[in-house]
Amino acid sequence: MTLLSVENISVRYGQLTALRKASIKVSEGETLFVTGPNGAGKSTLLKAIAGVVTPREGFIQFAGQHIAGKAPEDIARMGFSMVPEGRDVFGGLTIEENLRLGTGMRADKDQAARKLEQVYAVFPMLKDRKDNQAGVLSGGQQQMLVIGRALMAGPKLIAIDEPSLGLAPKVIDDVYATLIKLRDSRGLTLLIVEQSATRASLTGGRMVLMRSGEVALEGDARELVKGEALRQAYFGYGDH
Amino acid sequence: MHQRPSILARTWTTPVILIAILLAVALAAVAVSTGPFNQTVIEIFIRVVLVVGLYVFIGNSGVISFGHIGFTCLGAYMTAWLTMLPAIKKSKLKGLPDIILNAKLQYGWGLLAAAVFAAVCAYVIGKVLMRLSGIAASIASFAVLAVIIQVYSNWDSVTGAQSSVVGIPIIRTIWPYFACAVIVVVVAYFYSISRSGLALRAARDEATAAAASGVDIPRERLIAFVISGAMMGLGGALFAHSVGVVTPDTFYLGLTFITLSMLVVGGMNSLSGAVLGVVVLSTIIQVLRWFEKGIDVGGTVLTIPNGVQEIAIGIVMIVILMFRPTGMTRNRELVWPGKKLSAEAGAMPSSADGKTAKT
Amino acid sequence: MTAILQILFDALSLGSLYALGALGIALIFGVMRLVNFAHGDYIAFCVFALLWPSIDAAAIVFAGNLPTFLLIPLILGIGAGLSVLSEILIFRRFRNANPATMMIASFALGFIIKYFLLMLYSSRPKSIDLWSNLSQQIEIFGARIPPLQVITICTTIVILIALTAFLKRTRFGLEMRAAAENFTMARMLGVRANRVIMLAFAISGMLAAAVGLILVTQTGTVDINMGANLMLVAFVATVIGGLGSLPGAVVAGFLIGGLSSLMQAYLPADARPFRDAFVYGAVIVMLIWRPNGLFSSKAVKQRV
Repeated sequence: MTLLSVENISVRYGQLTALRKASIKVSEGETLFVTGPNGAGKSTLLKAIAGVVTPREGFIQFAGQHIAGKAPEDIARMGFSMVPEGRDVFGGLTIEENLRLGTGMRADKDQAARKLEQVYAVFPMLKDRKDNQAGVLSGGQQQMLVIGRALMAGPKLIAIDEPSLGLAPKVIDDVYATLIKLRDSRGLTLLIVEQSATRASLTGGRMVLMRSGEVALEGDARELVKGEALRQAYFGYGDH
Repeated sequence: MHQRPSILARTWTTPVILIAILLAVALAAVAVSTGPFNQTVIEIFIRVVLVVGLYVFIGNSGVISFGHIGFTCLGAYMTAWLTMLPAIKKSKLKGLPDIILNAKLQYGWGLLAAAVFAAVCAYVIGKVLMRLSGIAASIASFAVLAVIIQVYSNWDSVTGAQSSVVGIPIIRTIWPYFACAVIVVVVAYFYSISRSGLALRAARDEATAAAASGVDIPRERLIAFVISGAMMGLGGALFAHSVGVVTPDTFYLGLTFITLSMLVVGGMNSLSGAVLGVVVLSTIIQVLRWFEKGIDVGGTVLTIPNGVQEIAIGIVMIVILMFRPTGMTRNRELVWPGKKLSAEAGAMPSSADGKTAKT
Repeated sequence: MTAILQILFDALSLGSLYALGALGIALIFGVMRLVNFAHGDYIAFCVFALLWPSIDAAAIVFAGNLPTFLLIPLILGIGAGLSVLSEILIFRRFRNANPATMMIASFALGFIIKYFLLMLYSSRPKSIDLWSNLSQQIEIFGARIPPLQVITICTTIVILIALTAFLKRTRFGLEMRAAAENFTMARMLGVRANRVIMLAFAISGMLAAAVGLILVTQTGTVDINMGANLMLVAFVATVIGGLGSLPGAVVAGFLIGGLSSLMQAYLPADARPFRDAFVYGAVIVMLIWRPNGLFSSKAVKQRV
């Protein structure tokens, strides 16, 4: 069943239109990749869902509720966890403090402690360094930290913006291995903005291609990568 | 290829319109021709000089300076020193150097000296301040104001400290003030369409891109700071000659607040905004003043308590900042034939709105 | 020896006041990037609250006559209340505005508060007797020191410890620290923006009230310009300490307090009235050396 439904939303930054009537749907348990060239509006799409920017028109439904225009903290508390571009760890806080933030005020102490243990089980290397400042971690470790932080809330859907940005290929492999493990073991719904269409096809799932603020193409990731349609849509051949 | 007309050709109507507005105000004074109204108009022209001075720096650089009134103080005292009767100076301000003690110049020289002195001080102070980031520079400018006022409030032998310095020749005709207001508007206009002005505004709107394009931001800011310092000094001198008395207290937070509000209400990043802000707020202030003195309405006298004036201005400021942060003019300039220039064709481009994206 | 002790206490107590003032500014700046120019007027407001509800020319201290254990929470509450009120009515609508706009708005708010007080009370300072016994000097190791100074220093230390514990150990504190570092990200994790900000304002308001109480006891007067000079130092301290850094603001506050006391003690008598000018001069020199302050936080570094 549909967990997230974005219908015809438009977002403008001043004079610049970042999204024009973009629509996507994400079903429970599935993995949706959003790919496309720079400036296509992929990050804006995620920000609109997360509540960081407000769409001028259109609807966003998450877990049965209308969320367009709501505050980010309210949307987060409904079970939507967002990992924005650039791994925004709180550098001045320790790893454990970063993780604790993930639960919001919702969990009581015991629940929070249990969640913490769960996350440490998935990311043992975080546990080793739990009192270190998050700012000194390497890129890959920070990425693990923010994913772990997103997990703390026990979300229904995790949205990740460019998990592979600035990371070495081997590290990206590790990150995706973890994501796949989480998806398979917990049935997590994932919404991933990923520049590399190849990576998307390797991981498996559905894919949409965005260009100039619109969804240009949709389909199964593996199928699309094999075919010509993706290349053409990505580079704009056959347009105008 | 189609050559776009030069900036001057596209925007020359702006200073013309502003001068016309000032002229209208001057003619109103001539028409009404009473002492108090005259004085009010003089006040308006002085404020134009000050607020345009604020615009030259704040509007173009985007850095809020709370300290500019310090230069006003410097200018006011400089002209006082040069134009007062030597006899008074020798009895009250003994610490001045002899050459100043014996001087009694025409007020024109006083005005010039004030502007130059303020400009020099602005240069020295600016060299330090312009390297600081926006907010730090604002706070530092506040500190500069405090230092100037403290020095002037305590340096007995040179400034008379807290007691008023009297005996400054009073100029009662409006035309010198009008002339200075016009000069200041013209200088501000030409500065804003100059390369330096454009570069500074580029840095205001997008610092990274500007620096990457080779704009030397501290240098451009310094240029604006010095020009605006000179204008503030000139305004201070004009003030001194309009009332004949100066004390350091006049040039502190109250005046800072009023001039800043006029700029904000008119439109911080617009020269037209500076002038309009002065005219509009001065009118409001005058009306409130009449109420404070008491207006006879069919027998009963309506008065408002002291302090309401400033509260009203404060509220107006906050309301404007909330709902129209770009001010009355929306940060655009007044042009003829009346249609607003679009941002692409506009020469003195509108700045970003007061708001940034929610991210 | 006694002279040094005296100067030391002077420096510490003055530094404490400055540190408390700077802390109030830094707290709000941390979460909102707002330099609250109205803070000094919050101090004045709290001080005048001691006179309420009397607005007579001669100060009849009504609220000020309450027993201490009621008076202090009351004034702290008034400070927090005024601060939170200004956030709800005014600063909330400026959340997405640029820092310059917010600064000017707070400047205007400060004026409104000041002239509101002026409207009610007139601008003449009034004398008032609040715990004046604390200003009578007692002997400590041969130095003559007013107990008020000792109390100021101790109170400040207690406040600093309490605040640190609050920030480092409690849930709210954690949220505030996170919000100060990256407000948007904190919200995306479910941190309630409004609550964190209101908390910051409330604490800031209480700090203002505390400063006000100390000032009134110290000077024995009530004046609408009270706090203005202190706030200027507080602003400068936050800049020197590095905008966005709480420990920086506190350290800078003590530094300026120390410098000021030293100057007061050792400057030749002629130069003493210009003491503040010298202090600011030193500040400017320091800023040339380190434009970003002593402990600049990563969040506020200029990218250009």
